[in-house]
Amino acid sequence: MIGELSETRYWMYLLLLPSLLLITAVVLYPTIYGIQMSFREMRLNRPDLGTGFVGLKHYQRMLNDPIFWLSLRNTAVWVTFAIILEFLIGLIAALALHRNLPGSRIFAVMILLPFFLPNVVAGHMWSLMLDPRLGVINDLLLKAGLIDSYRAWFADPATAMAAAILVEAWKSFPFFTLLILAGLKGIPTDLYKAASIDGAGPVAQLRLITLPMIKTIIAAAVILRVIGLVNSPDLLLVLTSGGPGRSTMVLSLFAFQTAYRDFNFGYASALSVVMFILLMIFAWIYIRLSRINQE
Amino acid sequence: MTSTLSRRRLLQTGAGVAGATALMPHWAMAQQAAINYWHTFTSQSEFSGLEAVMASFHASFPDIRVTQENIPNPEFMAKVTAAVVANSRPDVTMVASERFADLHAMGALIDLTDRLNSWDRRGDFDDARFASITDADGRIYGLPAFAFVPWMYYRKDWFDAEGLSAPTTYAEFEEAAIAVTDASQNRYGFSMRGGAGGQSFVIDVMESFGAPIVSNGEIGLNRDAAVEAVDWYAGLLTRHGAVPSSAPNDGFRQIMEAFQTGQTGMIWHHTGSFQDMASFLEPGVEFATAVMPAGPAARVARLGYAFNSLTSEANADAAWEWISYWGEPDAAVALLGATGYFPASSVAAADPRIAGDPLYAPASETLGFGGPPPSFPGYAGWSETSVMPLFQAVLIGQLTPEQAVDQMIDALEEAIR
Repeated sequence: MIGELSETRYWMYLLLLPSLLLITAVVLYPTIYGIQMSFREMRLNRPDLGTGFVGLKHYQRMLNDPIFWLSLRNTAVWVTFAIILEFLIGLIAALALHRNLPGSRIFAVMILLPFFLPNVVAGHMWSLMLDPRLGVINDLLLKAGLIDSYRAWFADPATAMAAAILVEAWKSFPFFTLLILAGLKGIPTDLYKAASIDGAGPVAQLRLITLPMIKTIIAAAVILRVIGLVNSPDLLLVLTSGGPGRSTMVLSLFAFQTAYRDFNFGYASALSVVMFILLMIFAWIYIRLSRINQE
Repeated sequence: MTSTLSRRRLLQTGAGVAGATALMPHWAMAQQAAINYWHTFTSQSEFSGLEAVMASFHASFPDIRVTQENIPNPEFMAKVTAAVVANSRPDVTMVASERFADLHAMGALIDLTDRLNSWDRRGDFDDARFASITDADGRIYGLPAFAFVPWMYYRKDWFDAEGLSAPTTYAEFEEAAIAVTDASQNRYGFSMRGGAGGQSFVIDVMESFGAPIVSNGEIGLNRDAAVEAVDWYAGLLTRHGAVPSSAPNDGFRQIMEAFQTGQTGMIWHHTGSFQDMASFLEPGVEFATAVMPAGPAARVARLGYAFNSLTSEANADAAWEWISYWGEPDAAVALLGATGYFPASSVAAADPRIAGDPLYAPASETLGFGGPPPSFPGYAGWSETSVMPLFQAVLIGQLTPEQAVDQMIDALEEAIR
């Protein structure tokens, strides 16, 4: 019977069935469950309200919620500046490592170290290093004459987001370094030799050869990091908890607090669905603009 | 001689081995039950206290193995909620008074009423001790492990030099905070907890000014009194500069460091940090303790209790032995000796090692007038996600006290709607 079945066009569907079941169980079901929760009343500490269908109630609330709009704006700032910094530092580090200078292997390991640290550990470490009483960073800046007294970086709304972005960039730039370095290894050296003969300097070579050749890798890395930055509240949770005030409140942190402080899983799910849609739109626009799927 | 193994013999042997194997785990479990315990102890002294209690428990109950797991306070509710939703609960969980309403509402806790009523040490605990872990139907869900008795630490040496005595009212407190502040020396009057965990002090100050969150069973805020309270409390930083500028981000670690390293002259906390404090500064000489000062309308001190509650039925008997052991005077004194946490048991609190120590006198006095913290579903979330950031916004000048209180009132109505 199996022999006969394997000759039919249904055989390939049968072979795909285990994978489909697995994907349904671990991807589709949780996603659909999360989406349907956003249309329900789901407050764990208010069982008296039930879990009935509430339509677009949570989405309507979101439109009138100033914390949502503030979090959306902060998310844009957080993601944009963190990505720019991470990309630039990652690119410089990758170019330096690609030159195979003496000690490159040791530097490669050292550069990758921050990426291996859990966010919570990195957060607490930087929280201590930037501490307004005992922080070594304040001490160094004071000795260098860049500040005139110890600063409370995370207590001042003018510096809290910037300080958190710097910590995030330090933590995650190795991700770009790793991917860009892999891309650099794949560029034929002949291209550089030919460009050099044609009189192209290092900057022109970077602009006309290196960056176009690793464009696909950069696009993939940016999309992955944007997803990571939008979805992960842990670093900001440790560093600022969204404060002072709500000056570092981002969407993921707002959704986390709504779920696990207010126990309002319905509204938190609606926030998550909006983040999901925003990320899909971003990825679509970014891929179209970078034209990576036309090559 | 050769021996052959018959088929029947093989089956008999196999069945015997299988039966013995199946019974062995049960036999082993009967010998030693294992329970896991989630708690929020963080400091070295708290861990020393926990270890002392665990060692003492193990000596009395060698057949029960306790595995402890620390859940940092800020992540506690998230972790417990996830465990309840996923049904991967620990056997025993530490429950702070203000968290009971939310945890009970989500069905995280197991009714202990019957076990408590037949417990031989039930008489050691006043009924009031159970008030904040009892539901509307009178069912009790936890056993008090120790008390959070709030009090104030102050730098006795600084106060003596300025000719000041321990403040008894908010007016005296403000005066003392300003008097010992010398910003040019990086010295400030008060360690304000304006970051994580500071919301309870904001709420206490509001009540001290006549704006309790719960009044005659009604939930709400007296706007004028709350505005006055927020204005006074934030004014310690914004008007008087008597608080370090880092206050809007200062949580437990930061306020402790500030006091212990000589940056600040006063701090509000509870007796549980006494031994930690004593490891940095000399008690009675460099620092002393005092009762929380009185506000214009009331003197407020939240007598919170850390309860141990069963969160799973799996090892209920062994778990009960563990949580009831915390009511033994020896366990209570061991914890107090390592940390400073006050016993919840009246019998243990009367122990001469505690009652005879003058540094603990403010704590004993507080037991006379202190009351439980507010507790209703939504309170913990409201205080953490609304009161705290809105008060911070006043500290950093983003909102006026009026604007902040108006938003707190709106958020409170949303939380209980």
